[in-house]
Amino acid sequence: MTWFSKSTTTFGFLLLAHACYSAYEHSALQSHRAASLSSLSATTQQAAASSSLPLDISLETIVATVIITLGLVLNTAKLRPIQWRVWAGQIERAGEEGARNSSGEIDKDFVGNPFKLLESRPGFVDIRKQRKEFAEWVKQQ
Amino acid sequence: MASSLLRPPGHLSPATALQLSQQAPIIIKNSPGAVTASALSSLFSAPETPELWTIYENLLLSCLRTGDEESAHLCLGRLVNRFGDDNERVMALIGLMKEADATDDATLEVVLKEYEALLQENPTNIPIVKRRVALLRSIGRIPDAVTALTGLLDFSPTDSEAWSELSDIYFSQGLYSQAIFALEEVLVLQPNAWNIHARIGELLLMSVKSGSGDQNDSAKQLGEALKRFCRSIELCDDYLRGYYGLKLVCFYDPPYRPSKAVGLTSRKTTTQLLNDPPKPPKQAESDGLAPPNLSTLQKLDGLATEKLGEITRRFTAGEKGLAGL
Repeated sequence: MTWFSKSTTTFGFLLLAHACYSAYEHSALQSHRAASLSSLSATTQQAAASSSLPLDISLETIVATVIITLGLVLNTAKLRPIQWRVWAGQIERAGEEGARNSSGEIDKDFVGNPFKLLESRPGFVDIRKQRKEFAEWVKQQ
Repeated sequence: MASSLLRPPGHLSPATALQLSQQAPIIIKNSPGAVTASALSSLFSAPETPELWTIYENLLLSCLRTGDEESAHLCLGRLVNRFGDDNERVMALIGLMKEADATDDATLEVVLKEYEALLQENPTNIPIVKRRVALLRSIGRIPDAVTALTGLLDFSPTDSEAWSELSDIYFSQGLYSQAIFALEEVLVLQPNAWNIHARIGELLLMSVKSGSGDQNDSAKQLGEALKRFCRSIELCDDYLRGYYGLKLVCFYDPPYRPSKAVGLTSRKTTTQLLNDPPKPPKQAESDGLAPPNLSTLQKLDGLATEKLGEITRRFTAGEKGLAGL
């Protein structure tokens, strides 16, 4: 999906750049024509009539903006669950893996199950027991 | 790696703890040792983040667990440099270090005396109170630990961690009703904690299995356990622990009540217990919910079986997104 959204965004930007360049060329042409016409002492009404931007350039700009927006929206990360039970289930099942963002890193603000602290209780940690258990685990290895 | 250092390491497996503590020298070398307060040098150094100090604290705990004293002392030294040794949390960490270093009971007594001296100065130093409780429990003086803990809860009744510890101490002594009461206090503070709901269910089930109460009590407790497990599942989709508990409740076979027929499935016995004629006169008056009837119970049992089967199947098939189980 990423290559699709990235190419869409790039294409949109190309279109937008093209539209900008066309508008610039158009205005340059218009001012040139206006200058040459006024030197020929023609009526100024003609110049005013053709100085507005042609329809195709306006359309191209709008289409380019829509395509860029589409590409950027497609590139966003997957939305997080906002229902409590879905969120909780995801944390319980997937652990850290569920919190990976689009670039594959674990999110910085991922906290896991916030209520796990009520069962591990870091403030009351019995460090001597933990050391003993760890020593036994090492012996078994 | 770094993300697991941002959370307290108590629940990690020994292998993960070992891995973390083996990385400790590298992490300590690469992290800034002290953050200066001067404006000029802060322009050139990396900004100070709260994560840095969380990492030091958790690294300290992992290193103490695996016996890597050197790295633990380095971490503690940096924390002391930053926060000073009169910070309550750092004081608790210093005490923890002394506990870990202690080799005999006499040294532990000295540490305990130090805690008491600190509490003489400031009786509301909560981290030190908690350390004192943990140390008392660790050296086997359970009654003193309970007294200290209830003292803490007297002046800080909103500390859900302390209520949970109290429940665990009562549970270790086999005092189920007190343990359940303490966990209910936790639920008052954290009503959405699905693991605590499941834990209460487990305690109720163990209380029934220990056979301390009479039959009416058991029926009531079974109904309560059923509700607790259902609530934990309601709060957390596909909660393995909740479904397992639900299955155990539906499958409960009372030890003091001989099954009528040997071939009969034992799930009948829970339904018998819940729907026995000599029920307490008005069970509904205590919590306003009547015990479930037979068909509900069978449906719940079927649902639990189905869900457990599904989770097990998906886990053994190695499906992605089940790494936390």
